[in-house]
Amino acid sequence: MTSALNAPKVPTRPSRDDLFLPDFCGIRMVFAVVVIAQLLAFLLALAPLNGLSADRWRELGLISLFVQWAALTSAGTLCLARPHLARLSNTAAGLIAYLLMMVVLAAVSEAAYHVMETIGAGHSAYWHVHFLVRNLAMGAIINALVLRYFFVQHHWRRNVRAESQARLQALQSRIRPHFLFNSMNTIASLTRSDPAQAEAVTENLADLFRMSLSDVLNRITLAEELELCRRYLYIEAQRLGERLSVHWDVEALPDDALVPPLTLQPLLENAVYHGIEPATGGGRIDITGRLDGSVIEVDITNPAPAAATQRRNGNRLALDNTRQRLSACFGVGTAVNIDADEARYRVEVRFPYLTADPQAGGGA
Amino acid sequence: MNILVVDDERPARERLRNLIAELGLGEVVGEAATGREALELTARLDPDVLLLDIRMPGMDGLETAAHLAKLERPPAVIFTTAYGDYALRAFETQAVDYLLKPIRLDRLERALHGARRLNRAQLGAVEEAGREPDHPGGGARTHLSARVHGDIRLIPIEEVIYFQADQKYVTVRDSTGQVLIEEALKSLEEEFAERFVRIHRNALVARRALEGLERAGNGRYQVRLEGIEERLEVSRRHLSGVRRLMRG
Repeated sequence: MTSALNAPKVPTRPSRDDLFLPDFCGIRMVFAVVVIAQLLAFLLALAPLNGLSADRWRELGLISLFVQWAALTSAGTLCLARPHLARLSNTAAGLIAYLLMMVVLAAVSEAAYHVMETIGAGHSAYWHVHFLVRNLAMGAIINALVLRYFFVQHHWRRNVRAESQARLQALQSRIRPHFLFNSMNTIASLTRSDPAQAEAVTENLADLFRMSLSDVLNRITLAEELELCRRYLYIEAQRLGERLSVHWDVEALPDDALVPPLTLQPLLENAVYHGIEPATGGGRIDITGRLDGSVIEVDITNPAPAAATQRRNGNRLALDNTRQRLSACFGVGTAVNIDADEARYRVEVRFPYLTADPQAGGGA
Repeated sequence: MNILVVDDERPARERLRNLIAELGLGEVVGEAATGREALELTARLDPDVLLLDIRMPGMDGLETAAHLAKLERPPAVIFTTAYGDYALRAFETQAVDYLLKPIRLDRLERALHGARRLNRAQLGAVEEAGREPDHPGGGARTHLSARVHGDIRLIPIEEVIYFQADQKYVTVRDSTGQVLIEEALKSLEEEFAERFVRIHRNALVARRALEGLERAGNGRYQVRLEGIEERLEVSRRHLSGVRRLMRG
C-alpha cells in the first residue's frame, strides 16, 4: 500500500547557474554577435560628419573587419571564461568579463596596428596612440552597454520564470486548514480511546500532506490518486461516523493513467464539506468512473442539503483550481462540469488517458 | 458543576468527556449531537455550563446559543471551534469564551473556572457574526424561538406560513397554531428574504404557501394560503409583486 504512493517524480529542469552572461559558445549566439557587430560597424562608418564618399565604403569594410574581429574574439574569450565566471558572484563576474573584453579590445587594436604597419599603411607614433585610446574609449562605453543589457535581460528572465513557478505553486492543491484541524482533533480523541485508529489516521494524514507538498510537476497514477481519496475518506469517516457513506464504482478506470496529485481529493473534500457535514442525517457520496475511448471520466455526486443551497465561494475556488491544474497538465481535452439540482450536486471531471509508457496508453 | 457537551462529532464529545473527567471539575450530565437536542437537554437537565460546538448541521452553535437566551435561567456557554471561524472576532470583542480544537486541558480548566452567563448583547453580537453570508447554514436561522410557559418553543422556519405584526409583537403562524415572538418584521424580512414575501405593511407570507389571489370586494385583494383557512389582505402597493410571483 505504502509503496504504491512512492510516486516516480518527473525530474525538474536541470539546475542552471545563475550567471547573467549568456553562453557565447552556441551557434545562435555567435550569429547574434556577428549581426550586432555589423550594426555597430555601420554606425561607426555613418558617424563622421564629412559627407559620404567612395572612401566611406572602403572605411566601412575596414571598420567591419576590425569590429567583427574584436567582437568575435571577445565572444570566444567569454565562451572559454564562462565556466570560471559562473563560480563568482554576478558583480565579480561582470567586472572580470568587462576587464577581459577591454584586454581583448586592446590586444586586437594593437594587432590591427601591426598588420597595418606590415602592409605598409603605417602611421605616426602619435596616430598609434590615438588609435588605441579612441578604440578603448569607444569599447569602454559599448562593452558596458552590452553587459548592462545582458544583466537586465537576465533579471527579466528570472522574474518571468519565478512568476510562472509561483503561478503553478499557487495552483498546487492545498488541503484545507479546516480539514487539518478537524483531523488533529480526531487524532487527539482517538489517542485515548483507540490508539491503533489514531495511528492509522496519522499515517493517512501524513500521506495526504506529503502529496500536497510534493513538486508541482509531480504526476501520479490514477490508482494512487484513488488510494489517496480512500485515505482521505477514511479520516473523515472517523470523525463523521455513520453520517458519511461512500459508494465506489471505479473498476472501469485504468490504473496506470497519469494525473496531477490530489486532482480528485479536493472534490471529495468539497462533497464532504458541502454535502455531508451540513446535512443533519448525513448522506452518501458516489464516485463513478468510466473510460470512454481515450477519455477518462470521473463523477462525484453528493446530496445537496437544503441549508447549503447557497453555494459558497470556497467551493468554486476548489473547482477552478482542479480545472486549471488539469488543463495545465494535459493542455486540451479536460473539463470539470457541474450538474446540480435541488437534491444532488454532481461534479464531472474529464481528462485524457495518458500513461508514463506511451505504448501502453490508450490515448497515445 | 453540571456540564452539557454539544458536538456533532462523536470523537470530539468523547475527548471532552475524558478531559473533564481528568480535571475533576464537574460532571458531564449529557451529550447532544445537534442544536435542537442541546436545547431539549438543557431544558430537561438544567446544566450550569454548555460546551457548544459552533459548526453543526441544521441548527449551529451560534443559533443554539441565541435560543438559549430565552430560557429563564440560561446556562453559561463556552463555544468550541476548529479553525478559522468567522465568529472568532465577535468572541474577542464580546469577551465570550471559546476553545480552539483540539482543546488543551489547561485552557479547558481556565474556561470552566471562568464560565459565566452571557448577556443578550453578547449573544446578539456573536449571532450577528454567525449570520454572515458565508455561513455554512446559508446565513439565516433555521428556527425561531419563543418563550412559552418558561420553556423554549422552537419553530422550524420552513414550517412557518406567515408573520403578522401587531404593535410590539409578531405573530408566527404555522399549520399547528400561532406563537408570539419579540422581533421586528423588517429584520425578519431581511433575514428570510428567500423564503418570505411582503404582501402588506404588516405581513410576510411564505412563498411556498401562496395558493391563490382573490378579490375581497370593494377593490381589495387577499391571498389563499396552503394548509390554513384564513385569508390575508394584500395591500395595493404589494399587489403587482404578488401577482408576478403567482404567475412565475
